[in-house]
Amino acid sequence: MPDLRRILHVEDDPSIQAVTKLALEVVGGFQVLSCACGQDALDQLQGFAPDFILLDVMMPGMDGPQTLAQIARLIDINQVPVAFMTAKVQPAEIAYYCSLGARDVIIKPFDPMQLASQVRTIWNRAHE
Amino acid sequence: MSNTKTPAQELQKHLQQLSDAFALRLQEDLPALRQDAEQLLNAAEPQEQLRCLQTIREQLHKLAGAAGTFGFSRLGQRARELEQEAEHWLTTLQQEQQSLQDFSQSLQQLANQVYQPEPEPSPAPASASPSKAPQRERRIYILEDQYAVGETMRLTLNNFGYQAEHFTRIAELDHALQQQRPDALILDVNLPDENVTGLAYAASLQERLDEPLPLLVTTTQDDFATHLEAVRVGAMGFFTKPVDIPQLENRLERCFAQQQGEPYRVLIIDDDRELASRFSLILRGANMLVEMQHDPAEIFTHMRNFNPEVILLDVNMPNCTGPELAQIIRMYDDWLRVPIIYLSAETDINRQMNALIKAGDDFVTKPISDNALVAAVFSRAQRARLLSNALSRDSLTGLLKHADIKEQAAVELERAQRSGKPASVAMLDIDFFKKVNDSHGHAAGDNVIRALANLLRQRLRRIDSLGRYGGEEFLVVLPDCTAEQALRVLDEIRQRFAELKFIAAGSEFSVTLSAGIASTEAAPVSASELLEKADQALYAAKHGGRNQVR
Repeated sequence: MPDLRRILHVEDDPSIQAVTKLALEVVGGFQVLSCACGQDALDQLQGFAPDFILLDVMMPGMDGPQTLAQIARLIDINQVPVAFMTAKVQPAEIAYYCSLGARDVIIKPFDPMQLASQVRTIWNRAHE
Repeated sequence: MSNTKTPAQELQKHLQQLSDAFALRLQEDLPALRQDAEQLLNAAEPQEQLRCLQTIREQLHKLAGAAGTFGFSRLGQRARELEQEAEHWLTTLQQEQQSLQDFSQSLQQLANQVYQPEPEPSPAPASASPSKAPQRERRIYILEDQYAVGETMRLTLNNFGYQAEHFTRIAELDHALQQQRPDALILDVNLPDENVTGLAYAASLQERLDEPLPLLVTTTQDDFATHLEAVRVGAMGFFTKPVDIPQLENRLERCFAQQQGEPYRVLIIDDDRELASRFSLILRGANMLVEMQHDPAEIFTHMRNFNPEVILLDVNMPNCTGPELAQIIRMYDDWLRVPIIYLSAETDINRQMNALIKAGDDFVTKPISDNALVAAVFSRAQRARLLSNALSRDSLTGLLKHADIKEQAAVELERAQRSGKPASVAMLDIDFFKKVNDSHGHAAGDNVIRALANLLRQRLRRIDSLGRYGGEEFLVVLPDCTAEQALRVLDEIRQRFAELKFIAAGSEFSVTLSAGIASTEAAPVSASELLEKADQALYAAKHGGRNQVR
């Protein structure tokens, strides 16, 4: 199984961006690159070469699902799992997001202390 | 001094800083929200209102997502509720100025308060897997003035796994309703000791509640007028006394299944992107999942990936007309159950009929009001789902059929063997079932089977699978469960089943069951060997005197 080191995080809300970075870097020991929008993420994607991608669903401009579609054109999302983060959750929505190619959905609000292990779990499942 | 801190303390400090920064941000965000709320109220043009609402919804969405993470759980919760309201307004933005005013006031209240992180531990780590949702017991209130009748109902429903409470007087029920809202209310119509009838009380009760309570009525009056009155107060079931409780339970189960159903999936095929987006917005507002498709040639991919329950189809498209596409869809048996509704500006009744004769089920003419669109799609989707469930599941019990449960058993056992955890299977059979049919009739027999199916559904875990194996025989697959645990669970079910009271032609009777268990603990076995072992255990239970689990 490849190692989980670098995480690309796409989120337009600066507060969430900061707390996610902190939670993943300090608690999880990962290296996090934060992007404020989908386009930014696409530009950075190949240079950063992430092992895992976290995508906010609702963003101005390109939204999460649109960004995912673009990402999937550039890299193999079977190798680099993508998870959405969103406040809206109904089982059918989760199923819908997964049908777009996401591995799972992390629900907002999240507990900063638990986030890294949530990501780790999704990663492990993706590489089973 | 910071270098004496542990990493955990260091982290806490950083989190605190971020939480402080968020609190600072609120001092800007909330006044901005307040301004938008005022603007919304003063907006004269619907267009302007829409724009305001859009902004407000985005702001609320951010708050809803962020506040809880920084410990402001009350704010996050409230923002989430208001976000949903904003969404509602966006889709149904019409008159109703008064309620809009209320909404604006709620927004201002939210923005006007001073917030601090609440001391209790921040939100529970949210797990996203839908299957893990905790299953709690459903609370049922019973209003029945005859003590013995009400108590029997309460005990029977408790046996089914509900948490039922029985009241003989309206005042007691009212008191309980103030303490806690139940999931459903079962109400006797005839209450000679009260100064109102049960239905009059129900009417005033439903009026008081924000959201109507699922209601079942029991009565000695079987006439049309009482039926009508019951429907008017929102009753979802009507039972003549003496009440057949398993049947009542069956109806309860159906009420709940309808309530918690997943959103309907609707596919819109229209080359007019703007119109399709508008329809999609309206239907999403009514809590449906919508996908749009502008190119008819991609129909197969969309049908397979999205698996829609209703198709909205434009009649006039370049390259391929709606009726042509409908005929293509109808070439496949798998998609026969999916209703096709045409969308068209076509008002000529003859041409409408021509389209329907080729394929398709209904016609909706553009322009159409939001409500009419939602109603047209909703009713079709509801019916399609009911039908589809009826086709893939055993019609009497709603459980998997023989072949499906056998396949499920094989899948689960394979999974168990991979994970190294034990799994058990249980074969259940109703004792002397033929005698039930012979002495009480086949309808009574069907009731017994349905009651056992419902009891199993209530008592088993979500991960367990459940199927009707034969006439009166059931198969249960219990992953991650030892033989000993399975024995305990099944024996409890056996006892509760024996306590159920059935009524047929005015006489009461009860029935018992036998069960045999086999588990993977002893040695690795194939699915068919395990089923064979369970069958032998069942045989032993039958010969050991029935009404037992082996």
